Amino acid sequence: MILAAVIALFLQAPPDTLAPAAVYAVKELLVVRATEAVRADSLVSAPMGVADILRSFTGVQVKDYGGAGGLKTVNVRSLGSEHVGIFLDGIQVDNAQNMQVDLGRFSTDGLGQVLLYNGQKTSRLQTAKEYAAGASVHLESALPTVSGGEVRLRGGTLGTVNPSVRWDQRLSRWLMLRTSADFLYSAGRYQYPCFDTTLVRENGDIRSLRLEAQLFGRVRGGQWQARVYGYGSERGFPGPVIRRLSFPFSAERQADQDLFVQGGWTQEWTARYSTALRFKYANNYTHYNTHPEKNPMALPYNLHYRQQAGYLSLAQSVVLAGPWSVDVSADVQRNALDSDVGQFVTPRRTTLTGVLATRLVWSRFRAAAHLVYQGAWDSFRTPSAGGWSRSNTYRDSWMPSLSLFWAPLPWLEADAFVKRTYRLPSFNDLYYSLMGNASLEPEAALQVGVDLRASLRPGAWQLELRASPYYNRVSNKIVAIPTLSQFRWTMLNIGLVDITGADIKASASWHRGPWRVGGTLRYTFQQALDHSEPGSQTWGNQIPYIPRHSGSVVLEAGWRDLSFSWDSSFTGARWSRTANTPDYYLAPWSLSSAALQYAFHFRERGVAGRPGAPSAGRALLLGVTIDNVFNTPYQVVQGYPMPGFNAQFSVSFRW
Amino acid sequence: MKKALMLFTFGVLAAVACQKNPVPEPPAKDASLKGEEVSVKEFPADIKKVFVLNEGQMGANNATLDFLRRSDGQYITGAFKKMNPSAAAGLGDVGNDIAIHGDEVWMVINNSGLVEVVSAADETEIAVVEIPTPRNVAFDDKYAYVTSWAGAFATYGPDYTVTDSANPKGCVYRVDLSTKKLAGSVEVGYQPEGIAYYGGKLYVANSGGISSQLPPLYAYDNTVSVIDTKTFAVTQTVEVQVNLKNVYADGKGHIFVTTLGNYFDVHSGLYVFPANAPDQVTRVERDFLKHTHVSCSFALGEEVYCIGTENEFAFNEKHVYTLWSYNAVKNKLNLYPVDLGGVPYGMAVLEDDMEIRTLLVGDAGDYFNPGTVSCYRLYDAQDKVWRVTAGVCPGHFAVWK
Repeated sequence: MILAAVIALFLQAPPDTLAPAAVYAVKELLVVRATEAVRADSLVSAPMGVADILRSFTGVQVKDYGGAGGLKTVNVRSLGSEHVGIFLDGIQVDNAQNMQVDLGRFSTDGLGQVLLYNGQKTSRLQTAKEYAAGASVHLESALPTVSGGEVRLRGGTLGTVNPSVRWDQRLSRWLMLRTSADFLYSAGRYQYPCFDTTLVRENGDIRSLRLEAQLFGRVRGGQWQARVYGYGSERGFPGPVIRRLSFPFSAERQADQDLFVQGGWTQEWTARYSTALRFKYANNYTHYNTHPEKNPMALPYNLHYRQQAGYLSLAQSVVLAGPWSVDVSADVQRNALDSDVGQFVTPRRTTLTGVLATRLVWSRFRAAAHLVYQGAWDSFRTPSAGGWSRSNTYRDSWMPSLSLFWAPLPWLEADAFVKRTYRLPSFNDLYYSLMGNASLEPEAALQVGVDLRASLRPGAWQLELRASPYYNRVSNKIVAIPTLSQFRWTMLNIGLVDITGADIKASASWHRGPWRVGGTLRYTFQQALDHSEPGSQTWGNQIPYIPRHSGSVVLEAGWRDLSFSWDSSFTGARWSRTANTPDYYLAPWSLSSAALQYAFHFRERGVAGRPGAPSAGRALLLGVTIDNVFNTPYQVVQGYPMPGFNAQFSVSFRW
Repeated sequence: MKKALMLFTFGVLAAVACQKNPVPEPPAKDASLKGEEVSVKEFPADIKKVFVLNEGQMGANNATLDFLRRSDGQYITGAFKKMNPSAAAGLGDVGNDIAIHGDEVWMVINNSGLVEVVSAADETEIAVVEIPTPRNVAFDDKYAYVTSWAGAFATYGPDYTVTDSANPKGCVYRVDLSTKKLAGSVEVGYQPEGIAYYGGKLYVANSGGISSQLPPLYAYDNTVSVIDTKTFAVTQTVEVQVNLKNVYADGKGHIFVTTLGNYFDVHSGLYVFPANAPDQVTRVERDFLKHTHVSCSFALGEEVYCIGTENEFAFNEKHVYTLWSYNAVKNKLNLYPVDLGGVPYGMAVLEDDMEIRTLLVGDAGDYFNPGTVSCYRLYDAQDKVWRVTAGVCPGHFAVWK
């Protein structure tokens, strides 16, 4: 639970003396703060995945199909999940097929920070793709500094068992090795109200295994890391809850095998000039089977997909004079998708992204601007008279952005940004109609936002208030429109959505002796109106699944090594269609969860035990999290009921 | 939409039945339902209701039943839910076909795996028959016949055993009209769609819509399966063209089949063959016409009405739709200069004894939000008379006389 994360933040003592690995880190020169930031490595009753951390962030909607195996995607400020870049140590995790990155697949093990940027992350030596995303979520590895490790067992009432192990080994003064593994099994069986009766969710089970090895190296004036990641899973899709008599909702299964290798090398050549070189190769294999022999309602699909991506990025940063620095980054990426679907177009895409970025950093005033150019060459197989031929299209776009930061008073900060980004059509957008739509343009997002932040520290109190009004416009939105029959659709750039909103966050905490108390209040207003077709029945209506009002309250308390937290969230009324009629009204709901944890510290000679921090002495941690305390039935996506009351336990030992 | 048969056969039966029993009926239970009022003064006098089955969006469980009442011109949406409040799950997921048998409305709810039978008088439930992935329905005087994409079953067993799950053929399920119970099944081709009854035989259109994307076939089906209703066995397989959709019988010995084509070099169209010589398949076309393509169709008496668009492979262009009809008895093709907007998704044609015709067109809009039903007159000015908001994807029409 996120509560645990917040507690962990709480517990953090002032940072230790600089960790050895950080010595060579290139100075980041951040212009704008992250919208939200959580240190994930210090969680005890840790969330199963990153989705649980992001859920509480302001302006974020996690679309969740329920259960451990259900797809979880993130949407920031109503832009659509395709506009949100997910970056793992600076390298984008992408999916050219449908641009939906399943957050359920990211473990929080070995993760240092989870950061959300509504505006633009402005640190040095970013990849060009980090500039090209509308909003971004950054998952950053915790850099190991000493040998140590952790074994953990999590499990709970949803039939979930999740053992994991992490081992950090210091190989030399210059090299650290981290290996980690986790296994997840979840039966995914939970009761839910189904029309006028109560049923148990079936075929929602998942088993997955993740194996990972990371090397963290240092060289004179620089550092590098490399990661090999393997993930295999087999899961069922329980399907939407619809009217059925005796036939099951679904017998669909999917097996995935994901493998990727990625790495980066950051080098400070002189005090003024540094570079970062990054690479990635990813190979994702999916087998989808509807199992008609188990479900007479299933259409007999038994399909295999293989998606491959190769990526290379070079970033350079020069400090020109005092506060003024300039970055130039260029990325090249190749994507390929193959399948045994009939008449498959076997799409290939080469994307070139380049950016020129500059920033001015004084202590009270900072500014950053950049211009991205992105070009993508697509190649598709096209059916033509007497066979197939390949046809090519080229799409390109310019994406500018400007960010400003001003701290007029020591306790008051303000920043503002304006940003235009484009997202390329996904392979699904392009080949859905089998023919490809050469005229399909990238979807555009314009964002304007202001962020005001006040932080005060009267006595033992720490207060923070943040208010962030914004306006977004998504234009040229790619929309599927049928042509001749339900079998034949085309994708057109006809959508237009205007989003006006505000995120408000207030937090207070108090700390004296062994006692800690705190609370955070978050509220998000979003008016996301369809302005696609003047005069249509949907013009001026709220777009599907976006609540006008949503918010949460988190309360925490702690005494010595015991911590407790409570989290209540509220999601306002929504509609499942752009036609905001009573038939498609989704009632508001609120949800509460609670977490309790205790840490036994085994102090060692000369090592001060820092509660909640990794590799800082031996500790045994016990935690329990209760989700959906009041057993509220709710659905994030219509037809996909979420679990009711459930409890998760965790035991872990760190050394 | 194999309504040809049902309209022809049972429309006549219903009319006969009405004449035999002139006792005034008690007011229907749905008389208090009110909706949007539209003009029905040009509708034939013998019509009681026009039913519209809205498919809904797959997975959203939002198939709905609308009807237009001839007596007061009320267009009522969501009638099934309103008249069956205890049916908490509503009509179900994806309404694929609607047909009238006597005073019963049969609705094929594809992704709910059932056929819902309601009273035409007040939309209250009479029976539910469970059938896997049902598509379309036709009747003879003892049975209803429902095409199904579900796998081939040697016999209809409780475990729905599939013999060849790699690419199962579909079948036709038989439902006893009096008991509303299943009474056997017979295997036909790949993904059967439309079905029509004529002269002791059933004609089933096999589409192969799924097989075209899957190994080992990677091809559409192109056959009509002919089933003898006495033996309930396939007696003949007729090759027509790829991707068959609807089948109609004109009651005068002609069987019509519409096809969707393969979307890049075989166009959609209308084919006809004599019931007594099924191998004599001809495509309906004329030299003086630009095209005889079919996006949706409807049969009324001897006439098959089709709406099609000329540039159907140009997926990114705006389409102009044309209404045309064909009569095999007269071997005559008619064009109607009616200006249809939007994307026609389903249609019905009404005709009174003065041969004054009215066209109803369901427009699916964006296929996500509620669509519309438009009414056009097919004489004089041939213009639009009214438009009402229906449910999501108003695709299937049935007329109750």
